[in-house]
Amino acid sequence: MKELTQKQIFDYLFNNGIENFVGVPDSTMKYFIERGFKKNKILITTKEEESIGIAAGMSMSASNSLVFMQNAGFANSLSTITSLVQLYKIPMIFLIGWRGFLKNDAPEHTKIGKIQPKLLQALSLQSKILNEKNWRTSCDWALGLIKKGKPCALILIRDFID
Amino acid sequence: MIRKEAVSIVAKKIGKQYIISANGFISRDLFDTCDRNSNFYMIGSMGLSSSIGLGLALKNPKKRFFIFDGDGNILMNLGSLVTTAATKPKNLIHVVFDNSSHESTGGQPTISKKIHIDSLAKTLKYKTYKATTKVELVKILDKIKKMKGPILILIKISKSKTTSKRIDINAVKIKQRFMKSLKNNT
Repeated sequence: MKELTQKQIFDYLFNNGIENFVGVPDSTMKYFIERGFKKNKILITTKEEESIGIAAGMSMSASNSLVFMQNAGFANSLSTITSLVQLYKIPMIFLIGWRGFLKNDAPEHTKIGKIQPKLLQALSLQSKILNEKNWRTSCDWALGLIKKGKPCALILIRDFID
Repeated sequence: MIRKEAVSIVAKKIGKQYIISANGFISRDLFDTCDRNSNFYMIGSMGLSSSIGLGLALKNPKKRFFIFDGDGNILMNLGSLVTTAATKPKNLIHVVFDNSSHESTGGQPTISKKIHIDSLAKTLKYKTYKATTKVELVKILDKIKKMKGPILILIKISKSKTTSKRIDINAVKIKQRFMKSLKNNT
């Protein structure tokens, strides 16, 4: 996704009530994170599960949170999502970079990239894939869900090879 | 000192403060000896009580948060010590009940006899205390009453066959009453 769009997404979420951006970086969302750092709103943790724990504490303080990560980190977090986020019904938005979307992405991403949609489905975690056209309505959708106390995911496709 | 005694001493001594307690026997002991709305009992997600506590501490700087953790729990999420040390919450007190074992899963050993958790915290510039007796523990709790964190208290406990009753409140209810106590006590 374009640099400008990523920055617009950050601003949009920030201006619409997301106060905390906690996560582990992914190059797919490099500009999103860069924008967050400029606004002094990013907290980077050592692991994705740690991010989710911190975001849970923040959400319980009535402060809306987004957790960003790569899909590999999302896979690390499955049990934390089921036994913390979903069990206690703690709202937060997951922003997940989808490596392995392109067939010629690096080999370590192939398998996990392939099962990414199935993992979301298995968790019954509602999600939308962001693109240049739909990002605003997708963000509105996610903001609406967390207002109702429901966690959800926004997916950012890795559309380039480096 | 066994875990249940130590949990009860700390919970009663600190009065009505917020406690995030780790899954397994620690939460069960707390529930059994000192149930309060301001206790957040973890049922699953082992290792994350310190992260949840950090999120709460950062967002509520005027309130104090006590994390009740086990040695197995913190060893599973050592990164949390690093993140906490970097964000330096003044209102976070991490209490580790250390019996060098995974008692909730059958008493398998952890490595906390070889790797001292309080030394790790000290390196990360936590204010660090260690208690091996009830008298020492009470003294430490008096001492830290107004002290700024992050603080880590390591309590050496012995293994025991005493188990507390299961938590009979469902997870959503645990969250709701905790959030309510957080909101009402501003």
